[in-house]
Parts: sequence; structure tokens; C-alpha cells
Amino acid sequence: MKALLSFGDINELISFGIRIIEPLIALLIVSLSFISLRESRREEQALIVLENKKDGISYPVLYWENSIGRSRSSDIRINDPTVSRDHAVLLRRSEGWFVTDTGSKAGVFVNGNKTEGRCPVAVGDVITCGATSLILRRTADVEGKHTPVKERKYIPSPLILSFVTLYMSLLAVQAAINMENMTAVYPAVLFIALMWVFYTVSRAVFKRPNFELEALALLLSGTGIMMAAAHNEKQAYIQLAAVLLGIIIYYFMIWFIEIPDRVMKWHIAISVFALMLLASSIVFGSVQNGAKNWIVLGPLSVQPSEFAKIAYIFVGASTLDVLQTKKSLTEFIAVSAISVGLLIFMSDFGTAVIFFVTFLIIAFMRSGDVKTVALAITAAVLGALMMLNIKPYIADRFSAWGHVWEFADDKGYQQVNSLVYSASGGVFGVGLSKGCLQYLFASENDLVFGLMCEEIGCAMALLTAVVIGGFMLYARGVTTRSRSAFYSIAACSAAGLLVFQAALNIFGVVDILPLTGVTLPFVSYGGSSMAACWGLLAFIKAADERTYSFRQAKIKKRKRKVTYHDDYVEI
Amino acid sequence: MRKTRARSFPVLMMTLAFFAGLVYFIVNLTVHSAEWSSIPWNAHLSDKSGLENAGMILDRNGIVLARSEDGKRIYNDDEDIRKACLHVVGDDGVNIATAIQTLYRSELSGYNFIWGLGSPDMVNESKDITLTIDSSVQKAAYQALGDRRGAVVVYNYKTGEVICMVSTPTYDPAEKPDDIETNDQYEGAYINRAVSASYPPGSTFKLVTAAAALENIEGVEKREYDCTGTDMVGGKEIICYEASGHIDFQEALMYSCNSYFARLAFELGKDRMTDQAEKMGFNTAIKFDGIETIKSTYDVSKATDNELAWSGVGQYTVLESPVNMAIRSAAIANGGTPVMPKLIKSGVSGVSTGNDSTAAGQMMSEGTADKLKNMMDYTVLNYYGKSSFSDSLDVCAKTGTAEVGEGQSAHAWVTGFTKDEDCPLAFSVIVENGDSGFRAAVPVAAQVLEAAEDAVSNRIS
Repeated sequence: MKALLSFGDINELISFGIRIIEPLIALLIVSLSFISLRESRREEQALIVLENKKDGISYPVLYWENSIGRSRSSDIRINDPTVSRDHAVLLRRSEGWFVTDTGSKAGVFVNGNKTEGRCPVAVGDVITCGATSLILRRTADVEGKHTPVKERKYIPSPLILSFVTLYMSLLAVQAAINMENMTAVYPAVLFIALMWVFYTVSRAVFKRPNFELEALALLLSGTGIMMAAAHNEKQAYIQLAAVLLGIIIYYFMIWFIEIPDRVMKWHIAISVFALMLLASSIVFGSVQNGAKNWIVLGPLSVQPSEFAKIAYIFVGASTLDVLQTKKSLTEFIAVSAISVGLLIFMSDFGTAVIFFVTFLIIAFMRSGDVKTVALAITAAVLGALMMLNIKPYIADRFSAWGHVWEFADDKGYQQVNSLVYSASGGVFGVGLSKGCLQYLFASENDLVFGLMCEEIGCAMALLTAVVIGGFMLYARGVTTRSRSAFYSIAACSAAGLLVFQAALNIFGVVDILPLTGVTLPFVSYGGSSMAACWGLLAFIKAADERTYSFRQAKIKKRKRKVTYHDDYVEI
Repeated sequence: MRKTRARSFPVLMMTLAFFAGLVYFIVNLTVHSAEWSSIPWNAHLSDKSGLENAGMILDRNGIVLARSEDGKRIYNDDEDIRKACLHVVGDDGVNIATAIQTLYRSELSGYNFIWGLGSPDMVNESKDITLTIDSSVQKAAYQALGDRRGAVVVYNYKTGEVICMVSTPTYDPAEKPDDIETNDQYEGAYINRAVSASYPPGSTFKLVTAAAALENIEGVEKREYDCTGTDMVGGKEIICYEASGHIDFQEALMYSCNSYFARLAFELGKDRMTDQAEKMGFNTAIKFDGIETIKSTYDVSKATDNELAWSGVGQYTVLESPVNMAIRSAAIANGGTPVMPKLIKSGVSGVSTGNDSTAAGQMMSEGTADKLKNMMDYTVLNYYGKSSFSDSLDVCAKTGTAEVGEGQSAHAWVTGFTKDEDCPLAFSVIVENGDSGFRAAVPVAAQVLEAAEDAVSNRIS
């Protein structure tokens, strides 16, 4: 029989208990956040109504950007042979409503005057497309079209944030017990403080009504910081600083893209900026881990390609008014081809593939053109084959893929170790800092998924992956609720980029895909990556119309201007 | 905006594929977790041997071969049993790749997928594993081999239970010798020769050639031949151990006439010889209870006619593991189809010993098996002498003396089985450089069978 439990045994039991509770709390945070995001979004209801002068049929205008045309996919579909398939776009901006001719045959007339470019319209105005005339009406004035705003079910953000605080505290306690010192506690405390300051600023200064996305990103970032803190104190502080930088970029991005017209004005400058970022790695960069994508600035090493991702999505998604027409993608294709080319030149194949997939997402969402996408894929495959012909050693890098156990001592070493130690971790992990994978090269970034499986358990590791996938589902959910197609496309491509990058990272580690050495968004160690992920999150946040609604509600009050902001969230 | 939403469909598909990939990973992890985590170099286990709190390993009669107490692994009290069981049980480290403590370390230490290897010891439920081996038979085999290198395999050909599996040289796991890496005496001590070593099978391979002949050549049993001690087959000489005179098929096996079987192999040709050898376990690695055995090889694709002839008497490049030889003897005893060996009697859930084995199919027809059985019986009764093996057991056997090159004594082999219904045992014994199958290997087999008979009949009574 064992004697009384020793102090060490009790500590071990506490650490074990915490490991079991942690994923449950994390699951609660994730569920509450996504439920809140889903429940609190706007009902699809008419913002205004277009009434057909001839037959009195009224068309509800549901979105901020509405295509008018004969085609089946038009938001406002008019069955009139004189109306073009894609005739016009009816848009809402903070200044009011506008109509834009999108290259129709018959032209667009407002109150009988032919329009050129964007033309403001007000209640009572008549928009004529071909033989059809539509009168702009307030929803409230049209009988049966007005449904009262349903009360939105928010789950209070402070509650969610309290759970994140609890989760972080438990990680800190666990780390302290396992490491028998406090080194990992300080970063946790700082992070919790940063989190609440972030929330307070968001709420009090920026008047943002909801905080779920940020809470989820904080959950992932916090987990990443604790993974770093348990192994390398310095990395934890670098990650903390990166989160702070990321949050600043996040606010800047949300502010910058608030006005779609500003986005349009800047997009050429930003294209050049994106390419310069990538080119700077080649000119000033140094080679690390086989890829020349680092710039060393004194004590800092920066990965410009991470920030180029933000600029790239910005450039790709910035197309306005003309979303329904097949505007030429030439400029964007050129920027994409140069970007991917530069990345391949730097031997950063993982990022090159990420850029390419992002290109496909944006190109398709902008043009709906299957041909362009098919052509791009064909070109990429041919290019890849040519590459392999010229430089066959590239294929050698990925030769262990699919049978890593046969290469357990060399090319499959990282993957095999990840699998063995993931299995050793079980569902709840062996405990922070107790793992063995930490001693492997790049365990804190490339292999971080394996490290999570080992130390905090595969339940928690999977949950982080689910959150990233959830970002995408959310981004798709708000495509019709955003203020412009720009936001929808940007959100989908930013979330798509994060998901694809997560897939490359996770599946690379567990040998479902070749190991490319990209980071796991928000979790992997790497300041540039962390900050850039927050920048990408801004696109998703911006797609939610509520992000800007409160600010505009204030503007409206100040200007006392008659607009149609009838769905603003009142808090 | 509806269009934009519709065009986000591919991204949705990508996300669903991402989730599907995660599910695939989790299923994979759940299925393989025990296998992956028990890999010998897993530092969670090898840092501290991973056995401080592991369950017991017991022999078939419940005798404790290894247990853990106060964070230490303790082996059986009897030094000879410790040494005899080393290659089956394993040591504190993971030196013996095919040992139970190596292969089932994570199960012994209470691994399951939910808790991984990180749960505190007091929450851990370590598992015991009961083996099919009998420690007294192990000890007898170890003592019979003595200082010589070799291996013994004995198993019940009706149930598959391995009664004895011993390999020498060995060492004491309780007191691992310091000079194990440098002392020649311990050379190859980490290898379980019964499953991980292969040797030229010599004349024991004549059973394979005989099976091929019986399956393929009508009336081959009646063929007679005058052995003069040497013959030309395939353009070169085949030499016998001695001139056997006028012999038939049965006598050719009994006197182990090389010329007779060399001629048969030549006549059968490469395809039919290879076909029969492969049916009898050659060229595939046998696996049982998670133990991957070395592949026995029969490859005559590049052989000359004379070399093909030599392959028919187990020379040329033919190599066989002791366990494979025991399995093919078991097939003869069991009507042509062997029951595969198993080492684990109980304790490891999820390792269904029957399914985990690469089940060998029918090795030969029942008729062929019966004829070979009678020939081996005849050989023991009329040539080796019944008393060479056992007075109480009806043993059928075939010896082999395999040449291993200039300046070295030949390896000594014997393989066979008992005909007794209540003690159905198949066996193979190799004594490295033992010079003569009959003089070196048969006495070992006799001692082991005697012990095995006691053990098996004790159990019955």
C-alpha cells in the first residue's frame, strides 16, 4: 500500500485535473463565441424597397450592394427583356444610396436623366432600367415589407473574456506546477491584462458592440504564448509584443478599410507596397531554414512575406461597384504572378502555395470565372513541373511525404516524432513543458500542432484548428451582410488563407500533406506571423457591418442628415 | 451580394476538406496511438525505462517473470529463468526489439489513447500480460544449449501457444553485464535468434523439396536410386555425406541423401520449387503478436542448374529462421495447414492473437502432409532411434547439418513434432556450429521435449 500522498503527488494530481478542465473551458469559449456571432447577426430584411411603377410589385432591397438585372443570380431580378442581364448596382454608402450602371445596353436613368458613373438616389426617386421603372421607397412606407427588428441575442463579451481569463490562469498554474517556477506565470498575467485593456478600448473608445472574434483570436494567441512560455521565456515576451503589435495593426486596418472609396484610391500604392515587401526579402534578406525570407534589423528578424499577405488580400479584394461585371483581372494576376515568383525565388514554397490559393479564392470570387481559375491552376501545375525538371532537388525535400516511417531518421524525422509524441499526449496531454517534442528543431512553430497534442492534448489542439475553420464559416456567413462586396471577398479570402495555412501546417506535421514549414495562425511562435494574423482578422471583422455601425450612427446624429440607417444596433 | 456568397462556395468546400482532414487525423491517431507511442525511442518511456509502474509479465502457469516495485523492474528469482526468458520478456531498456516489454511497453505501463502517457501514476491502470511460455521449459532449453549459440522454438500446433522460445547467447536482465558491448561472449545477445536470425536450413529443407515432389510428381514415392555418395546434377557435382546405396523416396529422406533431393529439385525446376517454398513461409515476413520476424528467403532466380540442385538440399543461398521451420513442421503435423504461433495468452486487449498474425494458408495437401509425417516417423524409428528423443512421446523429426563455409563447423538443426494428441508440439532447434544435427541439436530437442511434456501434462492433470 502506498503511504500518504506526497506533496509532489498532489501537485501532479492538480496539474492532471487542470489538463482535463482546460479543453472543456476552451470548448465553452468557442461555443459561446460562435453562438453569439450567429445569433446576433442581422436578419435578412429589407433596408429599402423598390416598387415597380408599372405593376406595383415591390422588390425588397436586402443588401448594401445589390445587383439589378435579368440574370437569375441578380439580387433584384427583373423579368423584362429590355433589362440587361447585369444592368446596374444599387449601393448603400454612409452618405446614402447610389445607383451605378454596370455596362447595360439600355442605360440607367434616375428621374429621367441618364446616369454617368455613380449617381445618388433618394426616397421617391425613379430608377429606370430599360422599360422598367422602379420607385425607391422606405421599407416602413410599404405595407407588409416592414418586419420589426428582432432582439439580438448577445452573449456578454465580458463573460466570454472571463472564461478566457480562467483558461489562461489554469494554463499558468499548470505551467508553474510542472516547471516548479514562475517564469511562465508572468507572460500569462501580462497577457490577461492586455486582453482586458484591449476589450475596454474596443468597447469604450471604438464603441464596437461585439468582441467574439477577438476573444477567439485571443484564445489562440494566449495558447501560443503559453506554449512558448513553457519552453522559452524570451519567446513568450516576443509573442506578447507581437500580439500587441497585431492588435494595433488590427485597429489600423479596420479604420483604414472603413471607407471603400479610400480603399480604391490606395490600392495601386498598396500593390507596389506588397511587391516591395516581398522584394525586400530578396535584396536585404538572409537565409534561415532554407528559405530566404527573413530580414534582420538589429535584434529583430522580420518576415516581410507575412505582412505582404495583408497587402495582397487588400489589393485583390479592392474592386468596387463593378463586382457584377467581369472586370479584367489583369492587374491582379500580374501582382499575383510576381508575388508567387518572388516567393519561389526565395525558396519559400509554403508561402508561395498560400499566395496561389488566395489568388484562386479572390479571382473566383471577383469574376466567377471558372476559366480564369482553371487556366491559373494549369499554369501553376506546368510551372511546378518545369521547376522540378530544372531543380529536381526540390522534390527531394518532399520525398518523405506519405511514408515518413521509412525515413524516420532523416526526411521524415520531424513528422515521425510529431506522431509519436502526439500519441503520447493522449486527449489531455502530458502537461506544459513536460513534452519531448520541444527539443526538436522548429517545434515551437512548424511542429507546434504536434507540440500542442503532446503537452496540452489533442482535444485542445483540435479545438484551435476548429476555431480557424470557424473563422471561415463565419466569414462566409456574413458575405451578404457586409457593407460591400469588397469586405465579403476580403473576409473570405483572409479566412480562406488562414484555413489553408493551418491545413498546410497541421497536415504537414501529421504527414497528410508534405511538410512545408509554414506557421499555424495565431499559435506558432513567430512575431511577424502573429502580427500578420491579427491584420488578416481585421478583414473578417470588417465584413461584419456592425463593426462600423455605431460610429456611423454617431455621425448620423451629428450631421442630422436623412439617410436610411434603420438597422443600427442600439446599445 | 448573393453572387458573392455563391462564389464563396469553393472556400466552404476547402474548409470542409480541412475538417475532414482533421477527422482523418484523429481516426488515424486513435487507431495507431498505442503503436506509435510504444516506439522504442519514445523519450517518455526510455528516459526512465517507462516500466517503473508497469504491470507484470507472467508465464502460462502464473509464475511472475517480471514485475515492478517501488519504481524498479524486478525479474524472476531464478537466474537461469531470467536468462532463458530474456529474449521473450525483454530488459529495462529497449535492447531486444522483439521482446514483449519493448513491443507492449505502453500497454504494460497502462497506456490508453485518452490519457496518453501523461497521467499520474496513481491514476494509471497498468496491465499484466500472461504469456504462453512455460518458464521451466525455458530453463531446460537454456540449460540444454549451455554455452553454445542457438535457438529453440516449441509450440503447440493445435492451439498455437508457444511453450518455449529461447535464444543464446543471453544475459541476466537483473544484472546486465558491463562488458556486453565488448565481450565476444555476448556478441548478438540482443537478438532473439528464434525470430530475428536466419540460417541455411541444410537437410531440413529436404522436407520442402519432398513436399514439392509429392505435390507435383506422380508416383515419386516409388522412385528408386543408387547412391554412390556423389552424382552429377546440372553439370556439376553433388556430394552426399555418405553413400546410401539402393534407396527409395522414404529412405532417401531417412539417410538424407543429397543427390536424390538435388535431382528432384533440378527436375521440379525453379518455378515449382519457389512456389512450394513460398507456400511454406519463405519470402514473406511472418508476424505474430506484433513480433515481426525476419524473412526466410528462397531465391533461385539467378541460380545455375547445379545451384538449383543444391538449393533443394537447403544450401546455395537459402536462409530460414527457426520459427519458420517450426511453423512448417507444424503444418505437416496438422494436415498441411499450420496454426500460427502466439506468445500472449491474455492481458492485451485489442491484440487478438489470431487476427494479428499473418495467417499462413495451406502449405501442402493433407495427403502430402500425411506422407511426410509417416516418412519423418519412419526416420526417427529406423534411423535416429526413438530413444534419441523420448521414450514416452512419439516424435517425428528431420535433422540438418548446414555447411556455412570453410573453416567453420556446420550449423546443427533438427525440426519435427510429436504425434501425441494430448501433447501436440512442433519444434525446431538450431545449434550454431554444432557440427552435426543428430549429435548437437537432437539432444537439445530431446531435453526440451521432455520438459515440455512434463509441463503440458502437468497442466492437464
